[in-house]
Amino acid sequence: MERFQYTRARTVPEAIGIAAQSTTAQQSAPIRFVAGGTTLVDLMKLDVERPTRLVDINHLGLNAIERTADGGLKVGALVRNSALAQDPAVMRDYRVLSEALLSGASAQLRNVATTSGNLLQRTRCMYFRNTAMACNKREPGSGCSAIGGENRTLAILGTSSQCIATNPSDMNVALAALEATVHLQGTKGTRAIAFQDFHLLPGDTPNRETVLEPGDLVTHVTLPPPRSGTTSRYLKLRDRASYEFALASAAVVVEVAGGRFRYVRLAMGGIGTKPWRMTAAEQALTGAPVDEATIRQAATLALRDARPQSQNGFKVELATRCLAHALRLATGMASV
Amino acid sequence: MSVVGTSVARKDGIGKATGAAKYADDLSIPGMLFGRTVRSTIPCGRVKRIRYDFDTTGFTIVDRRDIPLDGRNVVALIEDDQPFLVERDVRHVAEPIVLLAHADREKLLAADVIIEYEVEPPVFDPEASTESLKTLTIDKGHLDAGFAQADVIVEGTYRTGHQEHVYIEPNGVIAVPEDGGIAIFGSIQCPFYVVKALKSLLGPKAHVRVVQTETGGGFGGKEEYPSMIAGHATLLALKAGLPVKIVYDRTEDMIATTKRHPSIVRHRTGVKRDGTLVAMDVEVILDGGAYITLSPVVLSRGCIHAAGPYRCDNVRIRGRAMLTNTPPNGAFRGFGAPQTIFAIEAHMDRIAEALGVDPVTIRERNALVPGDTTATGQRLTADCSALPVLREAVERTDFRRKREALRGTNRGIGLSLFYHGSGFTGSGELRLASKAALELTDHGVRILVSSTEIGQGTRTMHAQIVAETLGIPYEDVDVAQPDTTLVPDSGPTVASRTCMVVGRILQRCAEDLKRRLGDLTPAEYYRAHGPFTIVREHEPPGWIQWDDETYTGDAYATYAWGCDVVEVELDADTCEVRPLHLTAVQEVGKAIHPALARGQIEGGSAQGIGYAIVEHVAMRDGVMANASLTNYTIPTTLDTPAMDIVLLENPYEDGPFGAKGLGELPMDGPAPAVINALRHLGVDLSEIPATPERVMSACGSR
Amino acid sequence: MHDPDAPDSDESPHRLTRRGFLTQAGMAGVASVAAAMPLVGAAEAAPVPEAPDIPGTVPVALRINGTTHRIRIDPRATLLDTLRETVHLTGTKKGCDHGQCGACTVHVNGQRVNSCLRLALMHEGDDITTIEGIGVPEALHPMQAAFVAHDGYQCGYCTSGQIMSAVALLKEPCGPSDADVKELMSGNICRCGAYPNIVAAIQQVRGNTRVSEG
Repeated sequence: MERFQYTRARTVPEAIGIAAQSTTAQQSAPIRFVAGGTTLVDLMKLDVERPTRLVDINHLGLNAIERTADGGLKVGALVRNSALAQDPAVMRDYRVLSEALLSGASAQLRNVATTSGNLLQRTRCMYFRNTAMACNKREPGSGCSAIGGENRTLAILGTSSQCIATNPSDMNVALAALEATVHLQGTKGTRAIAFQDFHLLPGDTPNRETVLEPGDLVTHVTLPPPRSGTTSRYLKLRDRASYEFALASAAVVVEVAGGRFRYVRLAMGGIGTKPWRMTAAEQALTGAPVDEATIRQAATLALRDARPQSQNGFKVELATRCLAHALRLATGMASV
Repeated sequence: MSVVGTSVARKDGIGKATGAAKYADDLSIPGMLFGRTVRSTIPCGRVKRIRYDFDTTGFTIVDRRDIPLDGRNVVALIEDDQPFLVERDVRHVAEPIVLLAHADREKLLAADVIIEYEVEPPVFDPEASTESLKTLTIDKGHLDAGFAQADVIVEGTYRTGHQEHVYIEPNGVIAVPEDGGIAIFGSIQCPFYVVKALKSLLGPKAHVRVVQTETGGGFGGKEEYPSMIAGHATLLALKAGLPVKIVYDRTEDMIATTKRHPSIVRHRTGVKRDGTLVAMDVEVILDGGAYITLSPVVLSRGCIHAAGPYRCDNVRIRGRAMLTNTPPNGAFRGFGAPQTIFAIEAHMDRIAEALGVDPVTIRERNALVPGDTTATGQRLTADCSALPVLREAVERTDFRRKREALRGTNRGIGLSLFYHGSGFTGSGELRLASKAALELTDHGVRILVSSTEIGQGTRTMHAQIVAETLGIPYEDVDVAQPDTTLVPDSGPTVASRTCMVVGRILQRCAEDLKRRLGDLTPAEYYRAHGPFTIVREHEPPGWIQWDDETYTGDAYATYAWGCDVVEVELDADTCEVRPLHLTAVQEVGKAIHPALARGQIEGGSAQGIGYAIVEHVAMRDGVMANASLTNYTIPTTLDTPAMDIVLLENPYEDGPFGAKGLGELPMDGPAPAVINALRHLGVDLSEIPATPERVMSACGSR
Repeated sequence: MHDPDAPDSDESPHRLTRRGFLTQAGMAGVASVAAAMPLVGAAEAAPVPEAPDIPGTVPVALRINGTTHRIRIDPRATLLDTLRETVHLTGTKKGCDHGQCGACTVHVNGQRVNSCLRLALMHEGDDITTIEGIGVPEALHPMQAAFVAHDGYQCGYCTSGQIMSAVALLKEPCGPSDADVKELMSGNICRCGAYPNIVAAIQQVRGNTRVSEG
């Protein structure tokens, strides 16, 4: 691990002021915020991240879960994953988020991982994590070892010729389906970013994963008011029953009325280079009858643009089935 | 009996539950340096040049030229072919080339050693390899005549991949210069293997002491490789004149050390309409990796078990272990048998299917019974329990009814019947001439053996045998920490021999001691006559006849027997395979400590479930690409099904209180039982692990 | 390297002495562990050489098992390494060093965490509890006693992590069934497969008769 200077920030402006001196807020940033550390410390040990300065933001507050004026929910950046998953309002109104959080990592990790940290969780692509291998995300221009390499668990949506790494977060998938908003504070004030605009596609710059600029601090995430009549579920498929990243996962928020889908929000994880909204399938389902044929067609449509790699062709079918089954769960067509 | 057969408190229990037990990395010695191994990054070629691109101040640097003049650069094991440090030729990725030591670990890790190579084309496919590490043939009867009697011939090819041990404590040793030689403290299964290897490294006259520290799991993975690490730490410590600790991190441990041999097993079986096996032609191919190490004996055990626990008059088993440019594969619980048992047990269900009979019927018809001979011609006696374990498992699980009842559901049920030879193969135990000793203490006796406690309960079980035989309280029996200068060589802690063989020697020691004590307790005798130690050597049964050339005769002194029944649930949508329940009926002779025995079966079964469903080493370009615990997944508690463990006892006359070997048996059964349960669901798999993609593609064809 | 803004502590002569010793122990890997290593023999008798303070270390006060330890550490030191190498509490184990096995589980302010992914510096002011802090052989924590009674271990290397997780679980929302316990214990890998006995031990302490599955 590289040597670094450690600062325990006492105020948000102090933290932002230090971080604003960084050349980037993306891969290889010389100044990093640290909260739970479950991603950052892990990557620093691997020399994948080598910040020379760490700003500890654990003492900034930002750890409340509050109702917003419009009836939505405001989740502080430092709310721990376990606290968020077990929050009564989340369990009642945003079940998909609670389920997604509880399906991720382990109880120990959830106790320290934060909302903003999970938002910024880095890929588990084994080449990104191995400095002996080429990786455009870690070292732009070095190449992608995963294309043609071990890519069984990697992305089938949103890939580029430079990168096929998967966004590993479960929470992000739920936040995508819930149409959350990410709130930042930076040197120029505060910004609100729609969730689907927060993460970037790899394109030619897979080292850039989010819209964050130097000095930007995620302060909180807001969720829109819960729609009455909706049910939401999270389904995660993986190689073992727990403590494992998704091969494919689906977050589903639906409202059914008169045997038809009235409101549908779908997002998937484990298959995309960013948390993936399934807008075409949402449109296809809205207004359509709740039946097996409709669900299957929509799930197939959702994966229409999938582009598998040498080892992960099965994920197209697996993801299709995952989405269909999550829809069955949310509509009561299946119970397990 | 008052102690044997009861679940007394483990000798090591409190230390483990309070965190007081000391493992290698928990120890620290004044002046100690940390050691690091610089390894090859190519699978095949030659080292051209080594450059040290760092300030070498404060570093101890060792390469092949530092091998002592009296010593040899070979890790002495079966053959002397694997070097401690690359001389010139590189045969696999992660082969040790240079060793570094420094007091500061961050500096040590940052040191940049640049190695230039001349690269040669590697071989990764064992079937394409032209270099065999070992071949053997087992021949019984007349294969052609057997096939001539067959009504049906069933063929199949079965494949298994590498399996990583994932002992939770990574490998680690500390080398301390001592008396002109070296003392090793480490996570070690076989202390005297390390002595042998270090005597080859330093010269036969060198002082070598090896002490086993508390060991956080082995499963075979700390059988041979600790010799390599101890050699490295020794070279650094002797050059530095200071103690050196080498503890691998998880990735290094996964990339550099041994794994279970991948296998390809081909079966061609002749069977009569009534189910009788009349001819078995078996080909076993193991991927040995880049050096011989233990491959010949892994192949041997694999082949001996390849025909399964079945009677057949005409058998040919041809085995070969092939060289590939991958790290050497080695010992792992079961030692070749899990691979070949997987093949025969999956094959038996295909035979049953071909004949239109159920899996129980085909096994009942052919299971070995006392008086039958095995593939090597060994005539089995009353301690053969193939049918009893099968019948108990079938009855207990209501297997036939359940199999019918589950038809058409998303649940399947399958079984496997298996056996495992206890102790070294053939005349191996005679050659080992293992010893054990008992010494008097002021409050009882102390056991002196080199058998190691690696979690399986060695200390507890040995103490029970001694206490029972002497008729003294279990608490009065101590067990010495294995230190090769203080304990006799009891042979390695492998091959399910620690209870049956070493326990038996201890029983004989205790019998002799009891005669000597007369009416006195050990403590009274000690106070009256002073220290006294009794040493005995193993006396294998005189009837064992074995021919290493022809692979005929009594392969093992006895066998333990098992039948596993596994019920799985298959999510037809998501292709997830979930094991719901495992029933393991295992005949182990005598369970000295029932709770420990059950623990061995639960643990071995969990590893078998992992082998069957989730564990996959992605070996790419000769290196394990998924060398971490998130990418190489093993079962969590949630992946481990509810288990019903049934211990059957059928005493083996030459085991202590009738005990047979137990440690490896439970590894053999789960994988074929899972695959057979999937076959019951119509999923035709002949390769493990049963990953979603394999299941999905097999479902597509049903 | 030490940031002037970081919480600091004054230095008394007593602390300096202790600091000198512990710094050597942590940074240079030098320690006297005579009691811990009965078999080292000659080596244990050797005196601990005096070593200078290692540059780049920072002072930190950590409250561990109720005792405040004023030590100097490299800012890069994880809580795990600090516990094991600087404070010499070796009951907490390193199985993977990347949050993938759970062997390093300790409690921070009563909650279980993976100590391998925490920087020790971040824990000034926190209450840290390790396996050594919950019970001793003469007075085992009920969970330790249950692990002993149920043979909830084999090799023992994951055991302190399992027990620390299990103790924390007692205060977490967890349903009554074995499956509920298993879900919450899935962050602690046991390769020996002592899982059934571990679940039995936890259920005994929770006062639940086992709820069967499947």
